[in-house]
Amino acid sequence: MAWIPKPSASMKIERRDEPYLTQAMKDELSQRYLPRFETTLAALLPALHMIQHEYHWVPPQAMEEIAEFLGLSPADVLDTATFYEEYALAPRGRHVVGVCRSIACEFCGQPQVTQAIKDTLGIDVGETTADGKVCLVELECLGSCGTAPAALIDEELHEQLTPQRAAELVRQVRSQDAPPPASGREGLAPETASNAPKGASKSAPKSAH
Amino acid sequence: MAWSPKFTQHALCKRIPTWPYADPKDRHVVSYDEYVKTGGYEGLRKALTMKPGDVTEAVKKSMLRGRGGAGFPTGLKWTFLPKLDEGQDDLSKRGPRYLAINADESEPGTFKDRLLMDFDPHLVLEGIAICCYACRLDKAFIFIRGEYHHQAHVLEKAIAEAYDNGIFGPKGLINSNANTGGAKFTVDCYVHRGAGAYICGEETALLEGLEGKRGWPRIKPPFPAVEGLFGKPTIINNVETLAHLPSIVENGPEWFMAQGVESTVGGPPSYGTKLMGVSGHVNRPGVYEFELGIPLRTLIEDYCGGIRGGKKYKAAIPGGVSMGILGTDQYEAELDFDIGRKYNVLGLGTACPTVFDEDTDMVAVARNISRFFKHESCGQCTPCREGSGWLYQLMTRIEEGHAKTKDLDMALEIATSMGSMPGTTICGLADGNNWALRTIMNKFRDEFETRVSPSHVAVKMTIGAAAHG
Ligand SMILES: Cc1cc2nc3c(=O)[nH]c(=O)nc-3n(C[C@H](O)[C@H](O)[C@H](O)COP(=O)(O)O)c2cc1C
Ligand code: SF4
Ligand code: FES
Repeated sequence: MAWIPKPSASMKIERRDEPYLTQAMKDELSQRYLPRFETTLAALLPALHMIQHEYHWVPPQAMEEIAEFLGLSPADVLDTATFYEEYALAPRGRHVVGVCRSIACEFCGQPQVTQAIKDTLGIDVGETTADGKVCLVELECLGSCGTAPAALIDEELHEQLTPQRAAELVRQVRSQDAPPPASGREGLAPETASNAPKGASKSAPKSAH
Repeated sequence: MAWSPKFTQHALCKRIPTWPYADPKDRHVVSYDEYVKTGGYEGLRKALTMKPGDVTEAVKKSMLRGRGGAGFPTGLKWTFLPKLDEGQDDLSKRGPRYLAINADESEPGTFKDRLLMDFDPHLVLEGIAICCYACRLDKAFIFIRGEYHHQAHVLEKAIAEAYDNGIFGPKGLINSNANTGGAKFTVDCYVHRGAGAYICGEETALLEGLEGKRGWPRIKPPFPAVEGLFGKPTIINNVETLAHLPSIVENGPEWFMAQGVESTVGGPPSYGTKLMGVSGHVNRPGVYEFELGIPLRTLIEDYCGGIRGGKKYKAAIPGGVSMGILGTDQYEAELDFDIGRKYNVLGLGTACPTVFDEDTDMVAVARNISRFFKHESCGQCTPCREGSGWLYQLMTRIEEGHAKTKDLDMALEIATSMGSMPGTTICGLADGNNWALRTIMNKFRDEFETRVSPSHVAVKMTIGAAAHG
């Protein structure tokens, strides 16, 4: 869970003209989600999921746009967004490799798997490769304890990992594609991307807390 | 006496090939058509010929207990809903009532609900429809953990099939039933994705998450059956609990009560079968379905192929790290709802044992578990937020060999003070942390003692009568 101090004095929200919350997203929210709920706030998790899925992080400007669209205060959106680990509040790698570190995985070979990934990517847990492509994090139990060790690469689960298989997978992921220009920011070195509310100097995910 | 099953078929895994009655390699997603061809939605059809109150009575009689961890009697929970007057089936004459399905499965070591969602989603949906009919609930939200991308997908697809075939939605089966006095009664069902927070498995945190807020457990009372989602009457049940409903309604409560065991310690019975996801150092890990009451040794030796590499059993977590640990001398423990009172653990939990062999470092186990709780504490209550951090620090220190005897005593004192005293924390997470750490430190005390150096001044700290176990 995250308790994130924010650099209130120096925090600046970087803006762009093109909205993050697209018309298609707004339509989906108003047609598919809002009719289900008694409050507009209840559509917040789905809205944040859309942003996270599209841009691989949740920019502060997007939070403001969601707030405006759902009739909430930006503070409400920030409050919820900071609580849930799936939402990255600073840009991190285009792909996220999340290795389970919980009980069954740790005692069925996860440390070796994590080590193999670290060696292959040349980064530590909580870091992103310099090309901005892959970020390595550790997650808690992924519900694949019977097929441990497990890792979630973006939205796909990989089970019964060996160090060799894990290394091969991250190599594949890294060579997959160029960072899409649309979101623009992923290519930036982590240090230059410290405008997010958490003011993190690294692309440390909340789970590194 | 050797344990043998009284009931030699699967109830929940009827369509999901599962050892020892079928080969897990043959598993596939059961579509609506296949589900119906193999007797699916018969339970719902039968329920619709009964009065809603009679369905609740049948579930109450079966003594079905919640499969999400707490083992609370399901039928009894349903009776806590406010009573509806005659003719109030019509939604326009009253406020909405909700069902929240707990598919947040995040307790380390637990992977059983996933099996149902992976392969037989309509079994879950049929259970949802029956529950909504029995309790007069208008909308069902399946709150599924964010990491279950594939399962959310499978469910969405199955829900679309169910809408097309008149299970949910305006022209539903439920609509065509005569027992609601001719009133229009429909059910809607949605998938709602979480976003990576273990605490959202706690039922009131789940409701907060559904409402778009941070997942902070609520202070109870009011209980959700009275004031739940959006302040309206809400029932929260686990995926597996709901999946039991079709067969209970179809075959009657007596059929269910013939499976499982009575309590031997004067508690409520443990009837029915249970999904048991075995992980850790066994030869054939995976999800099994057995009657409650199967001894851990039988499960591991007879069905899971024994301990890996010919090693010896050392310890097991009965069902999720919150439950504490079964020691080396507790290999015979029967997996039923009595387990807490008989074997000094918190309870059966999710009945998904994580098994450790003789080479396992129990200090490392304690450190892993304490890190989990530190990471997942929502931070509302001081004993939990601070205590979990302290315990993690102490466990790390012990593991690294920098600790003294007094650190061990302090760790026990902190664990004991978390959640043992009722009312000091809002939810059960702190209690889970307490039981996990306290039982490991007590049942494997010698391992911890060899890792710490003696204190210069012996300090023995214990607080109050709660310092037992
Ligand atoms: C910290 C905590 C985490 C929990 N996580 C889950 C979970 O992931 N899945 C679940 O079904 N129940 C979980 N529970 C139990 C629920 O609060 C609740 O008892 C259960 O969903 C009720 O459904 P049942 O009666 O059908 O078991 C959790 C409880 C606590 C205190
Ligand atoms: S006990 Fe822990 S997890 Fe539960 S409400 Fe309190 S701080 Fe949050
Ligand atoms: S412990 Fe790693 S998936 Fe459950």
